Amino acid sequence: MAVKKDYKDQKLAEKLRDRKYYIPDSNPEFIKDVEKIGQTAAHMCYQCGTCTGSCPSAPRSSYRIRLFMRKAILGLEEEILTDPDLWLCTTCYSCTDRCPRDLAPTDAIMAMRNLAFKRDIVPRNFLQTVQLIYKTGHGVPNNDANRAARKRLGLEAEPETTHKYPEYLPGIRRILDHYRLKENADRILAEGE
Amino acid sequence: MAEVKKYEEPRIGVFVCHCGTNIAGSIDVKAVMEYARTLPNVAIADDYQYMCSTPGQNKIAEAINEQKLTGVVVAACSPRLHEPTFRNATKAGGLNPFRFEMANIREQNSWVHMHQPEEATAKAKDAVRIAVAKASLLEDLIPKSVPVEKAAMVVGGGVGGMQAALDLASAGIKTYLVEKTPSIGGRMSQLDKTFPTLDCSQCILTPKMVDVYRHEGIELLTYTEVEAVEGYIGNFDVTLRKKARGVITPAEAEARGIVGGGCTGCGDCATVCPVIKPNPFELGMAPRKAIYIYHPQVSPLIYTVDFDSCVKCGLCVEACDTKQAVDLEAKDEFMTVKVGTVILALGYDIFPIEKKFEWGYKNYDNVITSLEFERLICASGPTGGHLIRPSDGATPKKVAFVLCAGSRDNTGVGKPYCSRFCCMYSLKHAHQIIEKIPGVVPYIFYMDIRSFGKMYEEFYYRIQDEGAKFIRGRVANITQDPVTKNLHVNAEDTLLGRPIDMEVDMVVLAAAIEPTAETEKTRRLFGVSCSQDGWLLEAHPKLNPCGTTTAGVYLAGVCQGPKDIPDTVAQAEGAASAASIPIHRGEVELEPYFAVCMEDKCAGCGLCVNQCPYQALSLVEKEGRTVMQVTEAKCKGCGTCGGFCPGGAIWMQHFATPQIIAQIDAFLLGGEQ
Ligand SMILES: Cc1cc2nc3c(=O)[nH]c(=O)nc-3n(C[C@H](O)[C@H](O)[C@H](O)COP(=O)(O)OP(=O)(O)OC[C@H]3O[C@@H](n4cnc5c(N)ncnc54)[C@H](O)[C@@H]3O)c2cc1C
Ligand code: SF4
Ligand code: SF4
Ligand code: SF4
Ligand code: SF4
Repeated sequence: MAVKKDYKDQKLAEKLRDRKYYIPDSNPEFIKDVEKIGQTAAHMCYQCGTCTGSCPSAPRSSYRIRLFMRKAILGLEEEILTDPDLWLCTTCYSCTDRCPRDLAPTDAIMAMRNLAFKRDIVPRNFLQTVQLIYKTGHGVPNNDANRAARKRLGLEAEPETTHKYPEYLPGIRRILDHYRLKENADRILAEGE
Repeated sequence: MAEVKKYEEPRIGVFVCHCGTNIAGSIDVKAVMEYARTLPNVAIADDYQYMCSTPGQNKIAEAINEQKLTGVVVAACSPRLHEPTFRNATKAGGLNPFRFEMANIREQNSWVHMHQPEEATAKAKDAVRIAVAKASLLEDLIPKSVPVEKAAMVVGGGVGGMQAALDLASAGIKTYLVEKTPSIGGRMSQLDKTFPTLDCSQCILTPKMVDVYRHEGIELLTYTEVEAVEGYIGNFDVTLRKKARGVITPAEAEARGIVGGGCTGCGDCATVCPVIKPNPFELGMAPRKAIYIYHPQVSPLIYTVDFDSCVKCGLCVEACDTKQAVDLEAKDEFMTVKVGTVILALGYDIFPIEKKFEWGYKNYDNVITSLEFERLICASGPTGGHLIRPSDGATPKKVAFVLCAGSRDNTGVGKPYCSRFCCMYSLKHAHQIIEKIPGVVPYIFYMDIRSFGKMYEEFYYRIQDEGAKFIRGRVANITQDPVTKNLHVNAEDTLLGRPIDMEVDMVVLAAAIEPTAETEKTRRLFGVSCSQDGWLLEAHPKLNPCGTTTAGVYLAGVCQGPKDIPDTVAQAEGAASAASIPIHRGEVELEPYFAVCMEDKCAGCGLCVNQCPYQALSLVEKEGRTVMQVTEAKCKGCGTCGGFCPGGAIWMQHFATPQIIAQIDAFLLGGEQ
């Protein structure tokens, strides 16, 4: 286990924190859960970096898909689930297209998000998106600027979605209710973290 | 032998091996041995730490003598490993070696049931019971000897095939070297320098090519392909197609009565030929004529007409003048040669790397393969040794090398294996540009640098010291600047954990290699297996790396799996040595597992004749009756005919019906009679 050092100064404590990898700090079951949910053989990653090299998020953020694969193999569950970077994948699937080991890093990331959600670790904006979908059927609902732009292009103001056919909204809500997504989002947001 | 025999009272000895803890770790060896003692016909049962050791083998011989055994069973590893060992031990005890039966309780039992000791022990008892049932019915068999033709064939004239042919011929064996292209030399003649010594490839290869050409023991057959193969070890009849070359050698001219005629390699013909085609030797980067040689060092130095593009204008015939070497009416010729053993040295091709479209090969001008790099950096290549950008002829100052391009790839598009020499030749390429282009920087994108050979790690050290930059990360994709035709190489520097967008002038893809298109056809002609990835399959990866499961056929060079020149030459020498053994012995013993016709039962219907995949059966007249006859040397003992014969007239030696029934009974009845 990591050695605790008691520095009064918070900054110093963080700077001098024990950063070694200790087996007891890891959860060997974690990678198995990720593989079961993500349906990809994540333990076969050989750290080539093709995923990060393909990732549109990587050059714009500290998000490194390869590092998540690495940490998952080593069972660094806490570190992964509490890392805000986990939520920076755009699900573009570029990494999955190119991974030479034929893995689906995207699906591994989705699996880890899934596991984080189970522990109520979700960024607020994701939860608000859930609420928006529940309300409008859209993560990004139509707005006036968009409507004007659509008209300029000769399109109808509302797209062929729940915006135009609100009668389908109950169906969407039933799905969200079934997975208790809305309920959980409301609860976590209300609890304030 | 041919009639159903009356067996003597069987007395079987059973020996159970511990194999250290390999078997005894999960199987209760003592219990299996005790169980064997209860089986019918078992005269003695014993166990030992290592049955294959000298004391273990002595136990068998002693028991045969003391107990007057008629058969021996050893329960141990796979027969592939130690059947020959225990047959020898059986023979040493004075029994016919074919009175031995093996029960595999290691590979097929203890190793796979490591955590189920009880079930494993029960299964081992079954295996022993079945083996005893068969051993009780085994009979004496005498292997046949057949004479071996004192000649060998090597197919493929790359550095591997050349070395094998030189060794065989120098050992006094007449050797046919068959090469499908107009010249020997293979891929090595396309290389500029060779790692790790940086010898000039042509300088070390050309003398060898000349040696091959001049060796009186070698009959060099270039522009020739294998058409058909018949026979078996010692007696292969190989039919060759000598493709119409359209040009005759001085020897052929003499045979045709043309005094002082035949091709001298002067090249007057090519000068006048009006047809221009890309030269495949230069990977299409230089032209050749319809009458051509690949390059000035070809061996033999004889021109070849490409009849697919020749317009038969006859200008070359005129230019050749009194030498009368050009024959535009030439046709393919066939010849059949008899050889005792064969070595396949078929080499490799470059994987079509454009299939990995993210790297843009064939789409972006300045993305080339490593083999194209070899031609461009070679002084005798299409640019006289100047590395230039195909887009504008400029000298590149920043060159990216993409390693593992299409290798170590499990997507189904590329190849799952490591191509084994691309790390090393890419280091070499980095050196070559540093040497030739002042101020150039090579960037090597790699996952691992595999520098495993003698002086290879030292070579890596040297190239790093010379200034090559190493970036640990596989290239994700490459894009092209449409104006400058510069390339953007996208990857992650995995050691920094940072994505990279590197603009370079040129990209060299260290493309994977794969078996040639004809390898599949050629291996089928010789009955050789291949592994999943298409490379030819050796008899044993560690203990018989040059042999195949087809007796008399051996492997050399890359066709067996990726390897560099030192390994190719080493394997070629191994294959030549292995292929010369049967020839020097003069005869080979064939396993006596052939089919035997029980003539009194055979109705002469002949239905079996077409069933045999090896053409081993025929109908003959004997004492006024038509009966089937087996050519024993051709029969592989596959059992097709034995299972098929409606009258049950075919006796499969060592796998006879009563023996197999006894095994099935022993299994199903659990030892109860
Ligand atoms: C870019 C590049 C650089 C390299 N650099 C080096 C280096 O610096 N050092 C090093 O050690 N290795 C190097 N290698 C590896 C080297 O090329 C091989 O190790 C070597 O060529 C293997 O020889 P081979 O005889 O097995 O096969 P090949 O050279 O491929 O020869 C096979 C021959 O068989 C002929 N053939 C094939 N099928 C048939 C058939 N059915 N009938 C008749 N003939 C047939 C072919 O025409 C060919 O002539 C490099 C490879 C590449 C691609
Ligand atoms: S591309 Fe695949 S193998 Fe390579 S680092 Fe990413 S997940 Fe691992
Ligand atoms: S799917 Fe996610 S991790 Fe993969 S490349 Fe796209 S953004 Fe990056
Ligand atoms: S030799 Fe090197 S570059 Fe070639 S496949 Fe193997 S690791 Fe990759
Ligand atoms: S056993 Fe097989 S190879 Fe032998 S004769 Fe019968 S069919 Fe032919």
